[in-house]
Amino acid sequence: FLIRIVKMSLRKQTPSDFLKQIIGRPVVVKLNSGVDYRGVLACLDGYMNIALEQTEEYVNGQLKNKYGDAFIRGNNVLYISTQKRR
Amino acid sequence: MADDVEQQQPTNTVEEPLGLISLDERIYVKMRNDRELRGRLHAYDQHLDMILGDVEETVTTIEIEEETYKEIYKSAKWNILMLFVQGDGVVLVAPPFTAKTKNLSCLEYRSFCMTASLNVEDIQKRNLHKC
Repeated sequence: FLIRIVKMSLRKQTPSDFLKQIIGRPVVVKLNSGVDYRGVLACLDGYMNIALEQTEEYVNGQLKNKYGDAFIRGNNVLYISTQKRR
Repeated sequence: MADDVEQQQPTNTVEEPLGLISLDERIYVKMRNDRELRGRLHAYDQHLDMILGDVEETVTTIEIEEETYKEIYKSAKWNILMLFVQGDGVVLVAPPFTAKTKNLSCLEYRSFCMTASLNVEDIQKRNLHKC
């Protein structure tokens, strides 16, 4: 898995390629407001609207809420990052 | 990427997040300015403007006591029969919390999701019965 990621980063990639790759992986979505959402990426679109499964909401590093499914409006998203499952 | 964005507006394919939202289901909406809505979704569009019925709105404010500098969380709730929500203010949309999942720990919640069907329709049907 790590070797594959290193090889991928050596080729030139557009952001949309990255987004296609990470579907189905556990991700961290940080919003402009600073709230963190961790879950499995179900799908996303060109506006960065995101659908997550098994979502956990972290505010100031503290787990606040859990959602079975969560849809996040794209304009609020600061970044999407992959994470290792704890 | 620019081409994709233009094509997405007229049609919503199954793979897109908006396809996972179902009508006539109760939902939880988190909005800007620490507001939350729980209501029945009657309509929505690509901007996430929504028509909600039987809505309970919650506003949470944090007051800081001057003497002790403690944070006091206050929330006010009220009910609205029929509501139009402008999509600008929407942050997150999710099914409403069920009594079962709210107090589980992280691990328990994850295994709950694994054993229960992850099919979106099943989750929504389950939430509908519990509401």
